[in-house]
Amino acid sequence: MTYKVTEEGNVNTVFLNGEIDMDVTEKAKEVILPLVESGKEVHLNLKDVSYMDSSGISVLIESHQKALENNTKVIVKEVSKSVLKVIMMAKLEQILNLE
Amino acid sequence: MNIEESKDFLVSTASLKEVRVFSREVFEKLKLEQDLKDELVLAIAEAAQNIVKHGYKGVDSTTDRMQIKISMKDSELEIGFFDKGKAVVPGNVQHRKLDDIKPGGLGTFFIKQIMDAAVFKKDEKGWVNHLVLTKKIS
Repeated sequence: MTYKVTEEGNVNTVFLNGEIDMDVTEKAKEVILPLVESGKEVHLNLKDVSYMDSSGISVLIESHQKALENNTKVIVKEVSKSVLKVIMMAKLEQILNLE
Repeated sequence: MNIEESKDFLVSTASLKEVRVFSREVFEKLKLEQDLKDELVLAIAEAAQNIVKHGYKGVDSTTDRMQIKISMKDSELEIGFFDKGKAVVPGNVQHRKLDDIKPGGLGTFFIKQIMDAAVFKKDEKGWVNHLVLTKKIS
């Protein structure tokens, strides 16, 4: 997994790339959670994420819940078809902010 | 098409990608449709992850290996997982309730959603756990 972070106003966008499994979730959390804790709105762009398992889903849930605690929000954007299928299997499409 | 392929992997999170590559290669030979392949790879990866995460909980690193065997016979897909981690008590293997939104606890749910059956067997000498996932492929 690789990533890129951009900042525009009060929005940080994290572009994730590759496959997100248990081996990289700590790295993903190290990137995403501090941005959320800073109180900024965070956009997670998943257009280049080709695979995500339950560990990756946990990162999305934790980011979402951390955002609620910090009175901000995480928006999950441009989800690839294969990742969307996993999100829907977990019945999280109504919980996470998907765009 | 009937097939039987097996490969062993170091018990480590770093092996999970290798597990997916092996699985995709086997399913490619079986010419399964892409959506089904994706689901099956996810189920296999989740089961392998459970071995690393739960079977070796508290173990920083190990030289132990786990084995995955994929076989297809008469449209019945069978995937075997063999490991030497902590003995699994099948009754304790449960996923969290879906409406209890929190990180974790989804891997077993995904496996049960995708596969027809997931059964722990006690018939393999030399291994501690033997999980068998099965699915009828139409």
